[in-house]
Amino acid sequence: MFQYSKITNDVFYVGGSDTRIALFENVYPVPKGISYNSYLIKGEKNILLDTVDKSVFDAFLSNVVELLSGENLDYIIVNHVEPDHCATLEKVIKLYPTAKILCSAKALGMLKQFFNDDIEQYIQTVAEGETLSTGTHTFSFYMAPMVHWPEVMVTYETSNKILFSADGFGTFGALNGNIFADEVDFENKWLDEARRYYTNIVGKYGPQVQALLKKAATLDVKYICPLHGPIWRENLGWFIDKYDKWSRYESEEDSVMIAYSSVYGGTENAAKILAGDLANLGFKNIALYDVSVTHYSYIIADAFKYSHLVFAVNTYNNGIFPSMDMLLRAIKEHAIQNKTIGIIENGSWAPTAGKQTIEILSSLKNITMIEPMVTIKSTVKEADRENLLNLAKSLKG
Amino acid sequence: MKKYVCDVCGYVYDPELGDPDNGIAPGTSFEDLPAEWLCPLCSVGKDQFSEQ
Repeated sequence: MFQYSKITNDVFYVGGSDTRIALFENVYPVPKGISYNSYLIKGEKNILLDTVDKSVFDAFLSNVVELLSGENLDYIIVNHVEPDHCATLEKVIKLYPTAKILCSAKALGMLKQFFNDDIEQYIQTVAEGETLSTGTHTFSFYMAPMVHWPEVMVTYETSNKILFSADGFGTFGALNGNIFADEVDFENKWLDEARRYYTNIVGKYGPQVQALLKKAATLDVKYICPLHGPIWRENLGWFIDKYDKWSRYESEEDSVMIAYSSVYGGTENAAKILAGDLANLGFKNIALYDVSVTHYSYIIADAFKYSHLVFAVNTYNNGIFPSMDMLLRAIKEHAIQNKTIGIIENGSWAPTAGKQTIEILSSLKNITMIEPMVTIKSTVKEADRENLLNLAKSLKG
Repeated sequence: MKKYVCDVCGYVYDPELGDPDNGIAPGTSFEDLPAEWLCPLCSVGKDQFSEQ
């Protein structure tokens, strides 16, 4: 049964939320679920903006059918072809075969990859700055490559001043009836998940996000309608400022995040001693993670957020412990910048993990590496205790 | 002529090969690529390329 929501007089939310999904993209835990947003604009022409994931297709289709009430669907604007939005595009076009799919040239090739060449007959590609007027509504298209796939574009609708921002300004988390960010406690209940979504999924592409923000700054935007999470119609500047910070790799918290990996507790003990020393030196909101316990996506989010990072790394198979190795490679892939980094290494006979950690992180830009690293063998001894305190003092600067 | 690498995806623009699929003839230097030319793999602009 349908349950759509009104955004303006002629713009409707027709998406849905999956609250059963365990891992988004088969990688990211989403304990609060995720929404797949789609929008229908009614007027002289009826226009659908993006489709949805398979999991919410029935709810979505009920909304579209109810709102169209027998009228034709004229256009489907595809801002992003990733299957969490586009997997159901073929089903929709089979139901409304006279609709034209509008997408970027890059999207055309990718849609043929995900479906087959038949899809091309429905497609009309649009270029940067091109506009489509349907009477009341005028749409402009702006390319946003690598935010976060190459084919991505965003669409601006002039009469309602809506920016349909694709994955930009999205967040993890199901919509629980309220579809607007100003109707929920976004700062306290959503911001951490928005950061985890941004940093993990789009975080690598900061310069591309900056390019998109520059384009968006030229538009008079009253609403931001993303493909995941609530819609923005108040305090847009506050959330845009978050995106600006994140995409410039600017830290939000002047404090320390410690990530440790430990088998028998020696490295864990060292990490916790350091955390206590840091607290004694006045650091607040210190974050401490066992990388085998906390999913790396939460640690990536805090690695963006915190100004100082410490990796307490145990040696394993003459390399880095697997869960820590995964985290460090993820940090490298996300091109995190502007951090002060300290390292604690452990090894019971040949500690080598610290050197290998430095090698992995060597490609990051604007990093201050605190030297020397602290090396412990199996457990923390008197001399190590002193070295940990010195590391804490160096982090305090 | 110098090769340029896409910072985002690692695609290498080799002037000797050009980018014929997108209308760029072999022998076209990176500097002579039109401003609107995009990385053929990930679609970012020339400003996202570094000299190899």
